[in-house]
Amino acid sequence: MAKKLLLFKAFLKKEFILFRRYLVNSIGGMLTIYVIFLLLLGSYRGLVGGGDHGDTVEQLVVGYVLWFFMLSTYQDVAYTLRREAKEGTLEQLYMSVHGFGWVMGAKAAAGFFVNSILVVILLRAVMVVTGSTLNIDLLSIVPITIFTLIGILGIGFTVGGLTLVFKRIESFTQMIQFALVALVAVDPQSVWWVRLLPGSYGASLVRRVMIGGAHLSNLGFWECAFFIVISLGHLGLGYGIYRLCERKAMSEGLLGHY
Amino acid sequence: MLKVESLQKTYPGRRGDPPVKAVDSVTFQVKEGELVGLLGPNGAGKTTIVKMICGLIRPDQGQVLINGFNMTSARSSALENISAVLEGNRNLYWRLTVRENLEFFAALKGKNPKTLTSDMEKYIDFFRLEEKINVEARKLSRGMQQKLSIAVAMIANSPILVLDEPTLGLDVQASNEIRVLLKRAVAEEGRTIILTTHDMSVVQDTCERAVIISDGRMIADDKVHNFLELFKAKVYQIRIRGHLTETQRLALLSMNEVAVESESHEGTVLSVRLEDPKILYDVFAVLGQENSFIESIDRQANNLERVFLEILRRSGGGGQETAVI
Repeated sequence: MAKKLLLFKAFLKKEFILFRRYLVNSIGGMLTIYVIFLLLLGSYRGLVGGGDHGDTVEQLVVGYVLWFFMLSTYQDVAYTLRREAKEGTLEQLYMSVHGFGWVMGAKAAAGFFVNSILVVILLRAVMVVTGSTLNIDLLSIVPITIFTLIGILGIGFTVGGLTLVFKRIESFTQMIQFALVALVAVDPQSVWWVRLLPGSYGASLVRRVMIGGAHLSNLGFWECAFFIVISLGHLGLGYGIYRLCERKAMSEGLLGHY
Repeated sequence: MLKVESLQKTYPGRRGDPPVKAVDSVTFQVKEGELVGLLGPNGAGKTTIVKMICGLIRPDQGQVLINGFNMTSARSSALENISAVLEGNRNLYWRLTVRENLEFFAALKGKNPKTLTSDMEKYIDFFRLEEKINVEARKLSRGMQQKLSIAVAMIANSPILVLDEPTLGLDVQASNEIRVLLKRAVAEEGRTIILTTHDMSVVQDTCERAVIISDGRMIADDKVHNFLELFKAKVYQIRIRGHLTETQRLALLSMNEVAVESESHEGTVLSVRLEDPKILYDVFAVLGQENSFIESIDRQANNLERVFLEILRRSGGGGQETAVI
């Protein structure tokens, strides 16, 4: 396990080095995300008129921040595979003694760590600009968010695997960004099967905590267990699809090609 | 030790094309501390073999054993014993510095960069990268980048190194530097190295042994010295003014020992392998029929490139036009 920790630290260090080395670009990326939120907020207020919109603005804040977190997590896996193949380092990652699954796990964990910092900054900034108050109960929010993102990793692995085999599928991968908006937005309380979709159930639970003021203990054992099983199921399914694609890519000699 | 046993690989055909047999029952081994060249013309199957050795392509049949560990069934242990620099890849993170690349790839190979301080300094010194230690890889010269790629492959102390075209695209000085470093890696550290290259002089200069691949099959495996001895023959290069006539061409090419090396408006160059001295009289007779003007006759040194082409010619794998020793 100590070796896996080394791997995580190596990815984490790399993430921070690149963030610092290309600081202007990094800050530019964060500002873009922030400005997009302001535009969304402005458009929303323009559509519904002025006044107090209560929970709706808070829904927008939580939904947007969650979407950003899910998108970053998805891209950390799906885009990493494409970028590494393009840059000619994917095969070196495959030759790691840790196994490629662990390599991507460490990369995703390092990405989660960095993204968490960005999300906290973003959340704080949008809360200030909207004047919204949210229940920041970390003991409830952190585990729910982690399992929500674990489910999203499944999508990342699926798309990453398909990229290995089919290569240029950018239009498809970009579509996923918009699909994630829908996954965050839909309400699993109104349509039961929405709970089975990656990210949706977790997003509704985060909303219940942050907007509804609920605590993890209020959610109930079976609800939490169902949520965890669904999330792990998505990861397992995504990773399984990825392994099938990887097997095909390794069998046909497509691994490092892009 | 690296053992390649009965490797076979057939790629499925695409869009209705028939399947392509890339590697057909290739078997060879590389002993500890050996530097072996894997040679073959384009499309011979070298890269497929290299990638199967590295566990990046799954063989249809056969196995690769890295210090006794099967690359398929004991992948992790096998990968602890092998590192590679693959052709056509950067093998490095261009936005990381020399030191950061060394540290990152050491961790990827399961080594703690902090415990590798002395190794890090050793390889920085070995590859003469001291002055560039804090420079991003993308800002290095092509030769420096290649040296860093090899340093990155060596930093984890894997006993076996696979280098796919390590001197491709390098200038003469950088290529020579890489050759010296490879020889030192074997002599001073006992590394086992297998390299592929198109540059026969690299193999002749650095490798003890060469394995020659053509059309996916292994057609020769011997010491470089033995190859040169086996095909040792006097070769003469005859330069004539102008072009050959069609009659001359047919007559000369009917002789196994003769090849047309080049033909242009400046003149024609023939190579004649002097296994039997009588052949020179036959060549002169053909040239004399049309009063061809002989500008020079030079004796050529035997080299691995000629040996390689001759082996390919004899195996029927190509190189017929110019294969002469």
